[in-house]
Amino acid sequence: MPLALPSSAVHVQNAASGFLSTPGRAPTSVTVHPVALFSILDHYLRRTDAQERVIGTLLGTRTDTGEIEVRSSFAVLHSETAEQVAVDMEYHHAMYELHHKVNSKEVIVGWYSTGSNLNTYSALIQNFYSQETAPHQAIHLQLNTGTEEGQAAGVKAYVSSPVGVSPKPENCVFLPIPCKLQFKEAERSGLDLLLSTAKGNTDDFPATDLDILDRALATVSDMLDRVLAYVRSVLSGEVKGDAAVGRYLMNTFGASTEELEKGAFNTSLQDTLMVSYLANLVRSQAEVSSRLALTRAQ
Amino acid sequence: MAAAPSMAAAIAASLPAPSAAPTPAAPTHEAIPASMAKVIDLEADIPIACIQLDGMVVSKIIKHAREAQGPSAHGILLGLDLDGTLEVSNSFPLPHHGSDDDDKSAKGIARYQASMLRSLKEVRADDSIVGFYQAMSLGSFYNQNLVETQAIQQDKLRHGGVVLVHDISRTARGNAAFRAFRLTRAFLDAYKRNNFSTDSLISHRLTFSSILEEIPIKIRTNPLLGAFLENLTAPSSASSSDPSPAAGQESVALPPSFSVLDIGTSSVTKNLEQVIEAMDAYKTEEGNIAYNQRQIAREKAKADGYIAKRKEENAARVAQGLAPLPEEDVSRLFKIPPEPSRLESMLLLGRIDAYSKTLEETSSTGLVKMYAARGTTSV
Repeated sequence: MPLALPSSAVHVQNAASGFLSTPGRAPTSVTVHPVALFSILDHYLRRTDAQERVIGTLLGTRTDTGEIEVRSSFAVLHSETAEQVAVDMEYHHAMYELHHKVNSKEVIVGWYSTGSNLNTYSALIQNFYSQETAPHQAIHLQLNTGTEEGQAAGVKAYVSSPVGVSPKPENCVFLPIPCKLQFKEAERSGLDLLLSTAKGNTDDFPATDLDILDRALATVSDMLDRVLAYVRSVLSGEVKGDAAVGRYLMNTFGASTEELEKGAFNTSLQDTLMVSYLANLVRSQAEVSSRLALTRAQ
Repeated sequence: MAAAPSMAAAIAASLPAPSAAPTPAAPTHEAIPASMAKVIDLEADIPIACIQLDGMVVSKIIKHAREAQGPSAHGILLGLDLDGTLEVSNSFPLPHHGSDDDDKSAKGIARYQASMLRSLKEVRADDSIVGFYQAMSLGSFYNQNLVETQAIQQDKLRHGGVVLVHDISRTARGNAAFRAFRLTRAFLDAYKRNNFSTDSLISHRLTFSSILEEIPIKIRTNPLLGAFLENLTAPSSASSSDPSPAAGQESVALPPSFSVLDIGTSSVTKNLEQVIEAMDAYKTEEGNIAYNQRQIAREKAKADGYIAKRKEENAARVAQGLAPLPEEDVSRLFKIPPEPSRLESMLLLGRIDAYSKTLEETSSTGLVKMYAARGTTSV
């Protein structure tokens, strides 16, 4: 799931880890958990008027293959003026300690900033975070909030490598690396909930399971209609059929349903009805029992 | 410009005497504009009618609950209340503590909490505690721990605090389930007297369903988050003109999900086991109570017998013209055990009810899914 518009940037494999003498693999790709993104957006909303961008620390895990999973983030105080940049290191350390207490698996993997401006200060902050994540390389996540004219919202990830004859902290090249949004399937429904509220329908919460099922079935029905329309148009010769699509459809609709027809449906139906009956029975018993507790033997 | 968290404090500090009219023109953040005068209450007089949950909090809680694996995940809700709506704008998880050395870990948690609040305040996030959240599975959240924490919070927090429960199993099935509760007055009264005997239950009309009252929840996504999400679901390339159904969906960062259509019934087994487990626990608890009650009855009978005997004796002595023996304090001779608390059994009943309610819902959606599946196969 790509997070930004496809760009023409080449994802250079910075396999030459000799640059920073890093053991292990250099970061090859980044996956971001929605929580981290949402925290960044919240931080951006709470910035002061004077702040052009906000920065913070990214926490997550690394794999041996060089994939970095950003799982959460927290805001860090910093100030940028024309002359200097300052990051509140003490705050950063204190906050990391606190996060570490709750979730010891998450370590510092890099930092984020909002906007899409990579400047000398970015290089300096990157240098600071590289020390924090040593011996691994730090990543830099850039979240464009899309609030400025002509800029699309999106997330980009970078690693840095020093440039120049004599490496200086303020000189570095930010190399883009691929960045994806990732979350567990179990968390999907939370995002769906936020999506539906973002689209404006706030009334139907909490939705019952049946409501949600209803919506999903309606979507499936829509998709079937679309497929049907497509197949008909192919059959009538209006559109030239796509072999790949045909293969997909074949696989999907050719699934074996023998077992269902062999009476498995009825058995399963009976089981489900039984469970439902049982659940109702238990509930009414519990209700009766709680009422009986309110009586006294006289 | 005041940050959101300190707004209430700033308002509180700057509030003039009640009779003084709020400055109408050019309201700075220190004066209360006339339109706001009605909705600001310093004494928490306006009861909370609704809870507004920020999108970030939703995702934070879901993540924490999933990673902590089980009902041990709990944390603090931050925010502020305005005109009957409690706006929860942030949250942080609390470290999981083992049952051993409770005192030490409690202190550690308090320290953790304090420094976390301080840190959040520095980056201008909300820093006033409004309640806590708790993860649960299969709909059951009644336990003594939750009720006790809530009762302790009652005095400390404005509005007594709320508890937000999040159902992990239901969220995994495709319905992000959040519910908010607070303790009812009747329960608090009984809790304060620490009396959960039958009489007390009757006078307070307490059953498991009247321990907690539910508060409606609204989810809010701030416009920035909404726009960002919108961006994620929008197809990134202009391939929508392509009539083929496979195209157009490929490049979306957030493709639609159909986990809700999963027809598997693996959770039913687990659910049934939980129901049985809860019923066993209830049976044991009932046994304990019955035993206690028999004990009480036996002791009472003994005491009554003793009194009757003494009365008889006295009557005989009076008849013989002797002075009656003094009526001794029976309670000192016979230890009548206190009536057993019924809180635990009440909570267990609540648990049974919640589990079977989940079971019922699962089976009802299961029925729909089965017929849907048959419908598609028979075409």
